[in-house]
Amino acid sequence: MKPLITGQNLSKWYGAKCALNNVNFEIHKGAPVALVGPNGAGKTTLFSLLCGYIAPSSGQLNILGYKPGSAELFNKLSGLPQDAQLDPRFNIDKQLAFYAKLQGMGTKQSQIEALRVLDLVNLKEVATSRAGDLSHGMRKRVTIAQALIGSPEIVMLDEATAGLDPIHAREVRELVSQLSSQATFILSSHDLTELERLCSQVLHLDKGVLSEHQTQTKNKDKHFYTLMLSEPYQHVEQQLQTLEGVSNVYMSQHKEYVIEYHPSFELLDIAILEFCHSRDWQYRQLVNGHTLENQIFKQEKV
Amino acid sequence: MTTGFKVSPTRLAQIAGFELVRMFLTKRGLIALAAFALVWVIILRYPIGQAVGLVSSPEFEQIARDISGSIGLSKLLDWPEAEIAMYWLIALYSFPIFALFISSDQTVGDRERGTLRFISLRSTRFEILFGRFLGQLAVLSCLVGITLVATLAVLGYREPSLLMSGIVRALSLFFILVITFAPFVALMSLINTFARSSRLSIVIAILYFFAGGIVVSLIQWQLPGLTVLDYIFPGMQIEKVAGQNLSLLVTLSIPLLQSVVFIAIAHRIFTRSSL
Repeated sequence: MKPLITGQNLSKWYGAKCALNNVNFEIHKGAPVALVGPNGAGKTTLFSLLCGYIAPSSGQLNILGYKPGSAELFNKLSGLPQDAQLDPRFNIDKQLAFYAKLQGMGTKQSQIEALRVLDLVNLKEVATSRAGDLSHGMRKRVTIAQALIGSPEIVMLDEATAGLDPIHAREVRELVSQLSSQATFILSSHDLTELERLCSQVLHLDKGVLSEHQTQTKNKDKHFYTLMLSEPYQHVEQQLQTLEGVSNVYMSQHKEYVIEYHPSFELLDIAILEFCHSRDWQYRQLVNGHTLENQIFKQEKV
Repeated sequence: MTTGFKVSPTRLAQIAGFELVRMFLTKRGLIALAAFALVWVIILRYPIGQAVGLVSSPEFEQIARDISGSIGLSKLLDWPEAEIAMYWLIALYSFPIFALFISSDQTVGDRERGTLRFISLRSTRFEILFGRFLGQLAVLSCLVGITLVATLAVLGYREPSLLMSGIVRALSLFFILVITFAPFVALMSLINTFARSSRLSIVIAILYFFAGGIVVSLIQWQLPGLTVLDYIFPGMQIEKVAGQNLSLLVTLSIPLLQSVVFIAIAHRIFTRSSL
């Protein structure tokens, strides 16, 4: 299958500072793709390159067969740039209808579309409010709404849930999940649990260098389980080590243990849960493989 | 980054049309309009309303002819529509400054806020730049049109028989005025591509005219042959246009050429800049 987006030997320099260093990647149609990394890793730079806001210093970027920013990508690629705001002086429905018109809709259709996307983020009731009169969270949701105008094939959301309360952040996650059959989402966030839930492909950027990870749904590495307990119990590592098939146990962080095992013991997950039950350990989660957070943390520590 | 030169007339019209909405349907735009209307009520009431009295009084006529003749305006005294002659002079000298002010925020505010990032996912950078320029020119045309209609009303009130000839003259003046003001808007389009705020754009524009004027004068003092440098300033021909002493072709071609050059430079900068 032809990839939606291809990046080849992509580099971006800001003076002497290298924001992206010879990055290569492919993004295919399908489940949302996560873009993760610490602050200053180059995530927003990569987003800006994909949206055509900046030009690469070297390398090639191809989106649906076109260069970023090409007129052919209008209506096919949309995005939520980090910190971008609507004009505070205008009613939001007017601004969204204007964007819809630019995407080729007629006057009536653009007004209907503006209300449709506002409804998707549960903000239809503030359609006639000015952007400047809305709270930070509402403004953020409106900007998410603008990215959903029309029927884009690729939607890029940079820090979409940053600054949103947990309820609205969850609504946005559900919205992305719901719409991911119609469009390929590329999400950047610092909330790794959120990305782990939504995404199958993870692009990890650190100091301008890109690496790829798979979340647990497609993880072929079956040598690990990650057990998260609700309470801090005594001698957990030593006790888990006594389970048949377990080769190593270590505490990855507070109340979280990584269990390394021999691949021949396929039913170890059931054994672990039974073991927790027999010891009266309250557990929160058993992850098949490493958590995304641990994978990334391990890599960043190296 | 969009470096191609694809232009969709529909998107261009929508971007330009949205500038009219920004001017006429926002609080900031309406305040600017109210201030503009107040100034023009005074202009219409006094200099324009009393233009005939001034020009036709026997004592004043000879003085006016002497002064006008020396500054190249004698042709205007032959216009029977004295109100329009007065309007022409006031508009020609006042609108350029007004044009610089009202068009000082074409792209800079949206760029700093990030709003241009939303728009640039839906239209090319040339469409944004040129659409905003056309939109500001449309706003200016509306204001010129409204003030001209008001002047015609003053003329019609004084002498209804001059109304038809006044309308014909007003129409031709309308087009000349709008094209004369176009390079001022285009200069602001250019300044907006690198300035950080609309206020800074105005400051840069003022510096361009004053400091630039001094620099060009110094250059011309050393190299008198470089009179061509005058053409970098919008409105350099206004003095001659005011007295109707230039051919229509020259009157229109200088500002049109200046506008094209400013927009071309602005486009070059805008397509290479980060949003």
